[in-house]
Formats: sequence, C-alpha cells, structure tokens
Amino acid sequence: MAIPINKTPPTIMHIDLNSCFAIIEQQANPLIRNKPVAVAAYDTPGGMVLAASYEAKALGIKLGVNVRQARELCKGVIVLMPDPAKYRDAHRRFRRVLGNYTSDVTPKSIDEFVIDFNGSPAIRQGRALTDIGYEIKDEIKKSLGEYVTVNVGIATNRCLAKLAANLHKPDGMDVIDAANLRETLATIELTDLPGINVRYEARLNTAGIYTPLQFLAANGDHLKKRVFKSKVGMDWHYRLRGWEVDNVIWGRKSYGHQYALSNKTTDRQKLSQLLMKLCEKTGRRLRGSGHTASGIRLWLSFTNHQYWAKGKDTKNQMYSTQDIYLQAQKLLNQVVMPDNVTNMSVTVYKLVPGYPEQLGLFDSLPAGQAGTRIDTKALARAADEINDKYGEFTVMPAIMANMDNVILDRIAWGNVKDLY
Amino acid sequence: MREKINQRVSVVTVFSAKQRAAAPYLISWQNKDYQVGKIGYHHTVRQGETLHHIYELVDKDNTMSFRLNFDTSNLHWTLEAVSDGNSY
Repeated sequence: MAIPINKTPPTIMHIDLNSCFAIIEQQANPLIRNKPVAVAAYDTPGGMVLAASYEAKALGIKLGVNVRQARELCKGVIVLMPDPAKYRDAHRRFRRVLGNYTSDVTPKSIDEFVIDFNGSPAIRQGRALTDIGYEIKDEIKKSLGEYVTVNVGIATNRCLAKLAANLHKPDGMDVIDAANLRETLATIELTDLPGINVRYEARLNTAGIYTPLQFLAANGDHLKKRVFKSKVGMDWHYRLRGWEVDNVIWGRKSYGHQYALSNKTTDRQKLSQLLMKLCEKTGRRLRGSGHTASGIRLWLSFTNHQYWAKGKDTKNQMYSTQDIYLQAQKLLNQVVMPDNVTNMSVTVYKLVPGYPEQLGLFDSLPAGQAGTRIDTKALARAADEINDKYGEFTVMPAIMANMDNVILDRIAWGNVKDLY
Repeated sequence: MREKINQRVSVVTVFSAKQRAAAPYLISWQNKDYQVGKIGYHHTVRQGETLHHIYELVDKDNTMSFRLNFDTSNLHWTLEAVSDGNSY
C-alpha cells in the first residue's frame, strides 16, 4: 500500500539558538559583537572549538577546528573558554519562554527544543504558527538579550521541522508542508536530512539513492528489507512523507563522564587520579537520581587514534564513588596502552531505582565498621551533603588531592535531562 | 585583551522599585570610577548553598567590559575579569 504525503496542517515547531555558546558570549559582552568569536574547550593551541560566531564561521572556523587552526584562519579571533553556568541559565530562560505557549515542550539539547502545538490554546484560537514563531523570537530577545537570535522550523513532524530550522541561518523561519516538500527536498543533500550521516549516505548510495527526492520515491519495503535491513527503513519512508515516528521519550539508561586530557599521558597514577574524578562526578549524579547501577564501561582513546573499551556487569550494585572506582580501576588495569591517552570516559548503566540494601557475600563485617556496604552508603551520602552545602569537591577522595580544577564543568552534547 | 582579576571592588548598586530589579551602577577599580552602561547578561550560580549573582556589562563609554560576582553570603563584590573586546 502506498503511503501518501501527510497533508494535515503543520503543528510541530523546532527552535534552536544560533551558535548557542558563541552568541550567548556576544550577548554578555557587547564589545565582542559582530566579531569572530570561538568558544573552545581549552584556550590553548590544541583546544577544540565547540562553537563559533557567524563572523568566525564565515572564515571557516567551526566545530572540530582547534585553536591553532582557528588563529591561522583568523589572526584576530577571540577565543573564550565555555561558561556552562551561563549557558544552562540561558537554556532555562529559553524553556520558560516556550512554556508560555504550550506544555508540550521537549528539550533536545542545551540549545534546541521541539514544541508540539497540537491541541494547544494557540491552535484552538486559530493563530498561524508562523505568527507564533515570530512572537517567540521577540520574547527570546526580551528574556535572553537583544543580540540572541533563533532559527524556527515548522512542519508536520520532528524531522522535517528540524530540517526547516536548518534551511536559513541565522534568524530563519521556514515551513515545510505537503505543498513545498518536493521543492524543498530538491535543494538539499542526503546528509542535510537530520539523522543521515555519511555512513547512512553510503548505504543509500549502494542502493542507488543519491538524492533526497530519490529517497522519498523509494519503496518502504525496499528501504526496510534491503537498504537499512530494519524498521529504520520504514521509519524513513514515513518520516519523509511528513508522518511522525520520533515522538518517543527515552528514559535515562546510564550516567557517565568523559574527559579530554589536556596533558596526554600513559602515566597510570595520573590516569587513576583522573579516573577517580570521573567516578566521583558520575557517582554524584547517580546518587542524586536515586539509582544504583550494575554495569560499568571504561573507554580510552590514544594519540595513535586507536581506542580501548570494555564494559562489564558487576556482581553488586554500585552506589558510592568507591564502588564505581573499584570496578573502573580493575578495567583500567587491563588496558595495554599503545600510546598516550587522549580521552577517557566512565559510564555506569543497568540502573535500578533505590539504594543498595542487598549485602555482598563477603560484606560480613558488623554494620558500622569501616569497609561495610552500609558504611560506604552512609559515607557517600554524608560526603554528598557536605558537597551540596559547601560546593563540589569540598570533600573528595584522597587520591584527588592537588588536582584543583583538572576536570572542568562542561555541557554534554545531546539531552539535558539533568537540568530539570 | 582579557584578564582575570579576581579582586574585591567597590560597587554602587541601584534598586528600582519600578523595574523591580537591582543592578550595579558604578564600579571603582584601580583608582578609577566606571559608570555602568549596558548589562549584557545577568545570571545566578550556586556554589554549595551560596548564591552568586554574575553580571557581565560594559562601561558607559564602551571601552571596557567587566565580569562581576556578587556573593550573597557576605554581600561582597568581586571583579572576576575585564576585557577590551579585542583578540585574547
């Protein structure tokens, strides 16, 4: 059965902040407006650019370029380190503005939201979504600042709304509906479609699909059985026709932290120190969410572009930083390092709500004696309470002494569930 | 130029009942008074239980930008950084 193009009026809006980190910095400091600005993970020559202002982007400075390369492209580029507290504040203000229009607002990352206006008061009043979009742009300027601009995309599903938001930057407003769908798809490449990366593009190419219009014309069963070899193919068939397949909310499945080493090394003592800090940050979030975990994964990458990764299930539920660190260190001890470590991450998974009550077989000391699971749990809670009151790392494991601010606060890519 | 300062400074603050907001008005630093022009961004951040107000602003002459930190636990102002808006 042929699936038709969705001809219902668009009700999905995708909004994202243009060059989020850079534009917030230009809003904060009027002296750097209309200048090339790059926000980099570190302001040292090897630091990676995370966000660039439109003036910097016009000179080729973008995500993935390092500071040395950025200065070669533009000698006068202003390089800043990130200010996560400010970006989180901007995100919350953004969220409050959108919440004035409907409760169905979903954050996709620190700087983008999806709003479903279906059944909202605005739709019931007969207002055009483009009018609402322009009004939101004004309200965001009032809340975040006059220099802040957003892109707005409107369509019948999340994928096409995001595509619409990407069509004209900065400060764009675009609608994709049944009337202009083909005309819009004719102007873009396959990798412009949200979710189609170079690997998917290659897979489509081997099936003779080179353009979005060819992708649209492809048979759904063929995409499912031959091209993607899964329901992903049929999802794309529906998605390109404007039908919604992406309004799924995924629960939290893991907590983790990653660190890009500023001083690359094979020194196991230094790596253990960094590992402890990653485990402490992970543990704080795990405990704060009221979960324990029984899976852990360690990942390292090296200067020679190789990587090492291993995950394992733990016999006991992990709760305290020590629980997590013990397992992570065991994994680290298995690593044979071919070169200096460049990145390291720890992730805990198999989350279970609640606190660890089930004692391990060898946790046989009476309660209250050092080393028991009950003691460890109480110690973790006490340390968390002190850190909540006086600031992060007021109390920390001894191995982390003299680390100062080695692992800095950063904004994660993707979901921002922890902000709420 | 952007320079970290992290020094306590004297600040005159004005509260407007009409606007229902308080904001820095004048900063005294290195024997010079800077009248506040535009406040670019104001946000709050917690360190433990203590709330800090961070103001990023420029002086009225648009020559210098300031990053100020107001510690609500002791009502002290700290000048965290200054910049002239040029390459760092």
